[in-house]
Amino acid sequence: MKETKKRSGWLRRLFRGGSKTLVEDNPSLAVEEIVSPMKQIVRGFFERKLAVIALVVLICMFILVFIGPLFMPRYYDSYTETTQQNISPGFKMMSVPSELSKDIRMIDGYGKFSIGLSNAGKVYVWGDTYDPLTKIEMADIPEAVQNHKIAYVAAGIDHAIAIDEEGHVYGWGATKRGQYTYYTPDQEVADDVVSIPEGLANGTETVDVANIKKVACGYQITAILMNDGSLYIWGNAKSYSNMDKFVGKTDLIDIDFTLNNIVGVTTAQNGVYTGKRGLFDKLKSTLTGKAVASREFLNGRKVVRIAATSKNVCGELDDGSIFFVGDAIGSNDPVPALHAGEKFIELEAGTYHYVGLTSEGRVLCWGGNTLSQTDVPSDLAGTTKLYCGAFQTYAVNDQNELVDKWGNKGYLFGTDKYGADIFQRIIKGGKMTMTIGAIAVIISSIIGVIVGVVSGYFGGKVDMILMRITEIFAAIPFLPFALILSALMSQMNISENSKIFLLMVILGVLTWTGLARIVRAQVLAARENEYVTAAKAMGVRERNIAFKHILPNIVSIILVSLTLDFATCMLTESSLSYLGFGVTYPRPTWGNMLNGVNNATIIKNFWWQWVFTSIFLAVTCICINIIGDTLRDVIDPKSDRDK
Amino acid sequence: MGKYVIKRIGYMLVVALVLSILMFLLYNLLPANRAYTDAKADMQTMKNTLRGKTEEQKQEIFNERYHEYQKRYGTDTKNMAVRYLRWVGLYPNAYGKFDGLLQGNFGYSYEHKKTVLETVKDPMLNTMKINIIAMILGLGITIPLGIYCSTHKGKKTDQFVQVVTIIGYSLPAFITCIVFIWIFCSLLGWFPPSGMKTPGTNYTGLTRILDELKYLALPLITMTFCSLGGMTRYVRAAMIDSLSLDCIRTARAKGVREKTVIYSHAWRNALIPIVTQALGWFLGIFSGSLMFENIFAINGMGKLMIGALNTRDYDLIILLQMFYVIVSLIGYLVIDIVYGLVDPRVRVNK
Repeated sequence: MKETKKRSGWLRRLFRGGSKTLVEDNPSLAVEEIVSPMKQIVRGFFERKLAVIALVVLICMFILVFIGPLFMPRYYDSYTETTQQNISPGFKMMSVPSELSKDIRMIDGYGKFSIGLSNAGKVYVWGDTYDPLTKIEMADIPEAVQNHKIAYVAAGIDHAIAIDEEGHVYGWGATKRGQYTYYTPDQEVADDVVSIPEGLANGTETVDVANIKKVACGYQITAILMNDGSLYIWGNAKSYSNMDKFVGKTDLIDIDFTLNNIVGVTTAQNGVYTGKRGLFDKLKSTLTGKAVASREFLNGRKVVRIAATSKNVCGELDDGSIFFVGDAIGSNDPVPALHAGEKFIELEAGTYHYVGLTSEGRVLCWGGNTLSQTDVPSDLAGTTKLYCGAFQTYAVNDQNELVDKWGNKGYLFGTDKYGADIFQRIIKGGKMTMTIGAIAVIISSIIGVIVGVVSGYFGGKVDMILMRITEIFAAIPFLPFALILSALMSQMNISENSKIFLLMVILGVLTWTGLARIVRAQVLAARENEYVTAAKAMGVRERNIAFKHILPNIVSIILVSLTLDFATCMLTESSLSYLGFGVTYPRPTWGNMLNGVNNATIIKNFWWQWVFTSIFLAVTCICINIIGDTLRDVIDPKSDRDK
Repeated sequence: MGKYVIKRIGYMLVVALVLSILMFLLYNLLPANRAYTDAKADMQTMKNTLRGKTEEQKQEIFNERYHEYQKRYGTDTKNMAVRYLRWVGLYPNAYGKFDGLLQGNFGYSYEHKKTVLETVKDPMLNTMKINIIAMILGLGITIPLGIYCSTHKGKKTDQFVQVVTIIGYSLPAFITCIVFIWIFCSLLGWFPPSGMKTPGTNYTGLTRILDELKYLALPLITMTFCSLGGMTRYVRAAMIDSLSLDCIRTARAKGVREKTVIYSHAWRNALIPIVTQALGWFLGIFSGSLMFENIFAINGMGKLMIGALNTRDYDLIILLQMFYVIVSLIGYLVIDIVYGLVDPRVRVNK
């Protein structure tokens, strides 16, 4: 191949010159390839494996952090969710056991875990079932429950209730707030706990299973509603202020729990019963519509049933229409319109979303969609029954088989103590941390380069004064001073955005001195070069000599300093935020996300709340430092290649 | 040399003056009016005696108290220059007395109900104690390690140490702390996670020292670990530079033993930059452990400062700040003088 090329090349050599080919033919004529310094640096950099890996990781990090937020339109900083706090990483929130999915009797969920019951009477628990603080594992179903045929199950925030076919009531999970243990009236906790009837708690008494209408659990509370309108209710009265109004009630046809209130429908069916005047008594026809007093709104129509989310209650009237009462929830997806003559035959509620099955077999979902609860799959043909967990919905057909499920699968990195998704906060926080670091570095470089060049090139008095100013700034102890400035800033009456901008300025203004000194030293050496003398001889303006002739020659050194300073600024911002003086909650940065974890209990039990954030911060800083170090080695011609 | 030292001291004084003015102005930006709050508090305590007086009389009494406090705190004038001079102690206050920093009046901590000097005493001793121990441990490890790496440059061990140190100095201190608490307290259960002594005990003698050591062990381990990265790299670089000097080649050519070459010839040459670096580190003994004190709940200067910032104890903050500034200025001065002593070129250049 090469031979033929050489032979056929004589024509080309004749007319176009053939120095290259000649060199190839005759090694003694080989000249050393001339490479521009920049090219040399780039080439040297890419020869080092570690640096290339670091660069790739860093670029990935940048892409994740700056493009990632585009893919999380439902994220907002101050998002909190009481029922989703401290959830461990994983996608198990919706993983219905395969055994159960062919034979579903009922599914319930209120917080982190869901409970399911098969027609065979077997109980299944899935989701985030383990609480590291109390060491309670919800999936450890008591033997009594496993050995009996269960007829009803219900799940609260930290307890579960099961009723077997003979009417025995079983409970497991947390017990501290009277979830299922009996308290005699003189026990201390009893004042804000409504105790379970003693007979139910110790198994001597049973519930009439054939007549149970509904079993529901709320936040540490349980209610069993009978067909005759009577009610068993027990649990934490502190979180449900109107609980006393329901104890001993005998005329109810439906009951459900919002986050803080019990809601019911009495046999009068004239509105939502709460036992309190002014609570849930103004009805609306849509989620955000105009509220009208209930008597006026109902106008003789009767309430058939209700379903409650955390703040909002939806009810169905006897003419087939629905109404809403309470605060708006989440992103307020509008209620899908019903066709003429279509009616809801199923109406269920999660923590923020509603789901309904219509007489035409359509599944409609609306309400809060922060965890994609209302993204209904397109093919749900054959659905006859719907079950709602907290953020999940399960559609079941007439064979009791699971048709499909949708909603929140879980969290990649778990949730923090406010119930927010840590992965999303890491992405958002990384954007903030990197932006602050980058802008601070830009500010510090601009100051540092200008001061360095002016001082180094012009010398004399200017140099003296500028170097003293540099000394003043260098003498300021960094972290204490930054702390004080941000403390001062936090007391000024300015918006959060300008505070963050000021933080960048503070970081920039406190870090430029090192660069100024390096640049000055470089300029001092460079101004003795011939090209400067030549430029002077040509009458180029001194300003242009300094900034257009000398500066480009030392830009590689500035680049190194820029890289290393970027890591420093990010670290400083993180340290400040970690101490509570930089960016503050709810805005996430990698520093303040670690703010809450400096105690041994959280470090041990909720490891996911610090491990992932720390890894992101550490990996980014390590990569930047490796890149900076490699650049320095490559740029410095004296540096040993093997170093 | 004498002229050089005097020049440096002169510079330092100017810088200290400028910084003190800057600080003072900064603190006066704060929306705090202590005379006003004190006068209001007085009105509260005098509630009983004031009963039955008209609003105007009350206002008059309040004004009187307010002016009294303003005089006492030296804020009875809007003139910033006068206020500053009063604070330093170069201008008489409303009572005609010089009472400022130069007279030894460092202010009063409102949070601790003590003079600032008394407030600072114990934390300062604690901070100095842990920092000095950490520094000794740090130098004891980094110098041999750095020398070893420089003589085994490019070998597997050296590369390993290089990677570990780059991780060491890239990690923010608080992450190292969290990881160490996790390892040593949660997993191994060797040390208590925070505090300075077992609560409720009052040991004396040896038991006390052992108890204290048990609590300080983890902060000290963490601090030492955090400082390893930077210093090891520095020692290694300095040693590599000095090992490539011509005199080393000559010494080797003469047949001097390798040990002597490294520890006598090369090490001495590398000492100059290392000493200056170590001096800079030494300056940190007053403030270097801010993060650690906060995480491990050690009663030191850093914790005192964060506490003062959170409770807005301004007299304390400004004094701590001035203290840090002066320490770092003196530090730079010492470094410059030492540099000038060991390296005559510096004196000529400047």
